Amino acid sequence: MQRRNLMKAAALAAILGGAGAAYAQDADKKIIGVSIPSATHGFMGGLNWHAQDSIERLGETYPQLEFVLSTAGDAASQVSDIEDMMATRNIDALVVLPFESEPLTAPVAAVKDAGKFVTVVDRGLSQDGIEDLYVAGDNTAFGRVAGEYFSENLEPGSKVVVLRGIPTTLDNERVEAFQAALEGSEIEILDMEHGNWNRDDAFTVMQDFLSKYPEIDAVWAADDDMAIGVLEAISAAGRSEEMWVIGGAGMKQIVERIMNNDPQLPVNVTYPPALISSAIEMTALNFVSNAPMAGRYIIGSQLITPENAEQFYYPDSPF
Amino acid sequence: MKPDLHTLGPLIALIALIVLGALLNSAFLAPANITNVLARSAFIGMIAVGMTFVITAGGLDLSVGSMAAFLAGIAIIAMNAALPGLGENWGTILIGMGVAILGGIAAGYLNGALITKARIEPFIVTLGTMGIFRSLVTWLADGGTLSLDYGLRTLYRPVYYGGIGWVTWPIIAFALTAFAGEWIMRHSRFGRHVEAIGSNDRVARYSAIDVGRVRLLTYMLLGLLVGLSTVLYVPRLGSASGSTGVLWELEAIAAVIIGGTALKGGRGRVWGTVVGVLILSLIDNILNLADLVSPYLNGAIQGVIIVLAVVLQREKRTADER
Amino acid sequence: MTVLALHDVSKSFGPIEVLHDVDLALDSGQVHALIGENGAGKSTIMKILGGFLDPTEGQILLDGKPVRFSSGPEAEAQGIVVIHQEFNLAADLSVAANVFLGREPGGLRLDHKAMRRDTAALLARLDTQISPDTLIRDLSVPDRQMVEIAKALSRNARVLIMDEPSAVLTHREVGTLYDQIDRLRADGVAILYCSHRLDEVAHLADRITVLRDGLVVRQAMRGEMTEDDMAAAMVGRELQDFYPPKGRPSQDPALDLQGLSVPGRVHDVSLTLHRGEVLGIAGLVGSGRTELAEGIVGLRSATGEICVNGQKVAIRNLRDAFDAGLAYLTEDRKEAGLLLDKGLTQNLTLADLPRFGLWRLDQRAETEALAHATQEFDIRAPDPAMIAGKLSGGNQQKLLLAKTMLPDPQIIIIDEPTRGIDVGTKQQIYAFIRRLADEGRSLIVISSEMAEVIGIADRVLVMREGRIAGEVTGKDMTEDKIVRLAMGVSGEAA
Repeated sequence: MQRRNLMKAAALAAILGGAGAAYAQDADKKIIGVSIPSATHGFMGGLNWHAQDSIERLGETYPQLEFVLSTAGDAASQVSDIEDMMATRNIDALVVLPFESEPLTAPVAAVKDAGKFVTVVDRGLSQDGIEDLYVAGDNTAFGRVAGEYFSENLEPGSKVVVLRGIPTTLDNERVEAFQAALEGSEIEILDMEHGNWNRDDAFTVMQDFLSKYPEIDAVWAADDDMAIGVLEAISAAGRSEEMWVIGGAGMKQIVERIMNNDPQLPVNVTYPPALISSAIEMTALNFVSNAPMAGRYIIGSQLITPENAEQFYYPDSPF
Repeated sequence: MKPDLHTLGPLIALIALIVLGALLNSAFLAPANITNVLARSAFIGMIAVGMTFVITAGGLDLSVGSMAAFLAGIAIIAMNAALPGLGENWGTILIGMGVAILGGIAAGYLNGALITKARIEPFIVTLGTMGIFRSLVTWLADGGTLSLDYGLRTLYRPVYYGGIGWVTWPIIAFALTAFAGEWIMRHSRFGRHVEAIGSNDRVARYSAIDVGRVRLLTYMLLGLLVGLSTVLYVPRLGSASGSTGVLWELEAIAAVIIGGTALKGGRGRVWGTVVGVLILSLIDNILNLADLVSPYLNGAIQGVIIVLAVVLQREKRTADER
Repeated sequence: MTVLALHDVSKSFGPIEVLHDVDLALDSGQVHALIGENGAGKSTIMKILGGFLDPTEGQILLDGKPVRFSSGPEAEAQGIVVIHQEFNLAADLSVAANVFLGREPGGLRLDHKAMRRDTAALLARLDTQISPDTLIRDLSVPDRQMVEIAKALSRNARVLIMDEPSAVLTHREVGTLYDQIDRLRADGVAILYCSHRLDEVAHLADRITVLRDGLVVRQAMRGEMTEDDMAAAMVGRELQDFYPPKGRPSQDPALDLQGLSVPGRVHDVSLTLHRGEVLGIAGLVGSGRTELAEGIVGLRSATGEICVNGQKVAIRNLRDAFDAGLAYLTEDRKEAGLLLDKGLTQNLTLADLPRFGLWRLDQRAETEALAHATQEFDIRAPDPAMIAGKLSGGNQQKLLLAKTMLPDPQIIIIDEPTRGIDVGTKQQIYAFIRRLADEGRSLIVISSEMAEVIGIADRVLVMREGRIAGEVTGKDMTEDKIVRLAMGVSGEAA
């Protein structure tokens, strides 16, 4: 009993303290809250880095802006984060990359109803018209661009295998677009398994593909973390000459190898974690410029080739 | 030591899986595939052998997966840091190995000391250190991936991929660990003490066994084995990140239980654990090799087999009591 | 009037017949004592009466009509309640919650008020001070037994089957138990009372049935059998000299305590144990006897001086005590003495493993040690590969004694040497104790059974509230003197 009261008191103190801090702030200052999933794998790590990087940059450029960044391990704690931002920091705008669409829809709608500016990144909410600004990568294009490269660069009758991500809508969109782009090319998809956007899992799955299929011409790994695991499995099996691999998302090590004309990694497809930067920047512009920002911005997926690789290379990013 | 259904159950399941795999795909019994399956079992396998001791003594360690990621991270950092001074040679790699192994023992000591000296529940302690190790490696990697220098990696690579013929080093290390573990559990004083403590720690105390020390040693042994498996893991992909070793702790615990070690402690079967690890890897392998079910259901198949293995053993146990 | 009866009941487990043509009648308002050595079939009879086992042949008659219970709860619904030796209480629940466990009154919400009220009424009927809201874990053992009885009463027990109810009680507490039994008897409850304590049986029972090897060997009414008769009927031979003759201890001190204290439990105890002596320690439960023993051997932290053979020794843990030649046989055989789910060999050698190899344990030598111990201490194990939990209580105690003696200690402290074991085995254990003393070892025997301490010890120290209250020797070793010292009753001191 006593302990519970103590904890209540502590929580109350935290809330009061937070509120006090909020009131103490300069009235002209605008606060932008940024809520993203925590860095559990490479892509999200990159996204976190870009978010921090652009917050730092924008904070220096526009002293009248203040940023609050929170990262959450699951949808429920992300909801709590957003509620805390509203209650204790009195934010003026929210940039959110929803962990999952459904559970975040109502809390984000509540933020909007409170008259705040809302930017949704990458994963749409399950209800249209809540957000002022929507910034996303193009999953369909991500699959299509890769698929088109396969159908243009492989002989008819070639055999490929596919590593999928964690089973989600996003993954389904990519894979369906990839399959659609291969249609009519007479390229055979031997097998698809989930590598969960994880190096170790991709390594295991690829080892088993290599045992199962004596002939594979190319691999669509759909993610650069998975591509690294796949490449390792191929080289361990001594079949590096036989096939090439296309990953995705533009990890710096992979881009570097493309720049160096690695025959095993001819190209890559972007799905840049930097899209969070665009979203934060556009939200900031809404407050510092006179042009109101609104609408939907889809950042297309591009093909990284040895010729253009340099412009996709961020040596400081951890991703 | 009469073999009964109880101990044979998991072995029969393993044989059944092998037969099933061979029938479904001829590539299954190819040496390359066998090497793959055994080598990738090695990390979890060595950890699970250590976990067998911890569980048999009535403990639990949820932190091993995160610990492996953390050890891989600090080993990579240490090697990269030593590279400019020592150069691209085995000396540098030995430093990395040493960091992983000593780090493992230290991490095990941390868990064990909190449990035996501060007297906190193993579940809580290792749940805490699980989060700590995982965050530390994510932090060290800046949310991304820690990669070993390319040249060192090339030198270090044979530790995972090389070996004697098709028997690669991880397989050898796993086999040696299993033999040593079985010997210690069956034939040494330490093993007898571990079983006694798990069976009834009060009886152990009244038999002049230093219960706290033996428990602490089980966690340190597990830490050592996590360190050893990290030594084998790093050369495989040459990297560590926040997603390294995710859920290894549950796989290791599942393997221990499938093998017939009682979760409440008191009865340890190292051979059973080895069989349990192989069962778990084979399910994955077979599901990848054969298109039996939708890949969405892979987890369900594993779940069914784990529960089934434990149910079979329990029925045997109640039959004993009649 | 007979409430529950067995008629020509036999029971076999596979080819082994454990009960043969047993007739037994429980009358309302009567206490029927069932006695016999361990393994005679008492627990099988209790299980059949309680609905836990079916007879292979014969009938169970309830109010004269044949019945068949498919389970314990079904028998309970008919008013037949068993109070097991290991209580069936949930330690973390309150007294009231335990009394009504499984048949809680109220709909969706429990009727706490009614439960508390009814429990309080039951406890008042038993004349105890227990509060219905106390947690079982906070109750003393005799109070827990009262709760068991209250639970039985709440089920409107017509037949109460009690398995060794006094085994866990001290002298004074047994008195309260007798009062409760008298009360129940006056209420018309039929009671089956199983016990190893023949003095109790003689005192309580209206009727006595003696069981040996699954056969009823004798039935008698109150006053028809003396304790000696009962013992003789149980073991099937005359019991001459139940206790071995006293020894002739030397005057060399083997163990010398100066001002030993265990914080909060034992205060400033000094005593000397001579070589070849059996020193008894008596006293009520809670008087600090066990704590003193555990303080000596390093299981509890203690202050004071301990000298072994005139040499001062530092004992910080049990290992130090072993090294000084001391050993301690715990009173709690099942929870601190033996690993019940492990084999006999593992149990025997657990405290002395270094003897069987520095690195690799020599399992052949362990097996030989078991063979030797089985012979020396007459451990009757049907299968040497069996687990300790499957042994009868008496054989478990012998195994524990063998385990304690394996390191060859010179000073042995035995706490409750014969708790819950049968007469025949008791006699054997007494003989072992005396033999060890005659070999020149020194023993301290702690016991709650007055007759036992007097019978086995050369000299008795009585403890009270953590201190030595007095010493009795020779002709002064009588129950009366010991009880006076133990209870602190002044008057004519010994």
